[in-house]
Amino acid sequence: MTRLHERGPAQIEANLTPMIDITFLLVVFFVVVSTISEVESVEMELPKPQPTASAPPPEQTRSVLNVLPDDDGEATGYRLNSVEYPLGPTGIGALRTALIPMLRNNPELRINLRADRRTTQKHIAPLLNAITEANTSSGNQTPARVNLVVVTRRNETE
Amino acid sequence: MREPRKVRRQTPRVGLNLTPMIDVVFQLLIYFLLATNFALGEQVFRMDLPERGGSTMMNDPFDIPEEPLRIKVLSIATERETLSVTLPPQYPRPGDLAELERFLAENRSGDTIGLFLADHPIQIVPSPETRWEHVVDVFNAVIRAGYRSVHFSDPEP
Repeated sequence: MTRLHERGPAQIEANLTPMIDITFLLVVFFVVVSTISEVESVEMELPKPQPTASAPPPEQTRSVLNVLPDDDGEATGYRLNSVEYPLGPTGIGALRTALIPMLRNNPELRINLRADRRTTQKHIAPLLNAITEANTSSGNQTPARVNLVVVTRRNETE
Repeated sequence: MREPRKVRRQTPRVGLNLTPMIDVVFQLLIYFLLATNFALGEQVFRMDLPERGGSTMMNDPFDIPEEPLRIKVLSIATERETLSVTLPPQYPRPGDLAELERFLAENRSGDTIGLFLADHPIQIVPSPETRWEHVVDVFNAVIRAGYRSVHFSDPEP
């Protein structure tokens, strides 16, 4: 037997390591993204102004404030990041208290306000007032920054 | 006597069977691919909320604050276009959002002389029962007309 065939026939194997690496990266990416989406995106019908002058969200630190809707779009509560607050003065007061340290630690913080298109202003105005008051109480010298979230489609933007 | 033949033993190969792990990882990948809901098409209107009374906005104590243009908004019905927009009585009442936008754009000081500068304070005053989409529609019309200082305000009691 020649030296070449001493070890028997050659084995052909696919090296799976790079594929596993990439697959794991993808899984980690989707786990992280889906967690963020769950915190930020409450299912609702956002306003859709047409033609719109809105812009893509800026790359800044943000917190998401959702006005939770029922089936008819009327507000049932608020959610700041992942914490829910009830409607009414108690909930608004707790929300304001939660906002103060956030705005104190990060004066540049932008608050993304997401509300259903059918929600009435009586549930949104107290929120805006609470943000203003929290910003004042946090000692910021700049106005509170809010992003009003709307939905649009790429081919409808100008 | 013949010497027994030496049996040549190969060392057993120790290998990790990765197939079940790859199966599970692919299952996870497909699950997250299908379950992830990206916020596609979401955009924002930027708005600053000035402090009530405007004390932090006044850099110069001798500045005379400009009287804001107050636009009252009221939802008449649940349909998209059914809203009522009212300007102060000295200005014509716009019939719809397009008329409001045209009025604001024509009276903005830019290339021509107009009533309002682009940073003139505009206050949108929705009634408590106004739907959020109508408030945003008016906000959008004001921004499209070229104004930069747009805020919300509560109705006067």
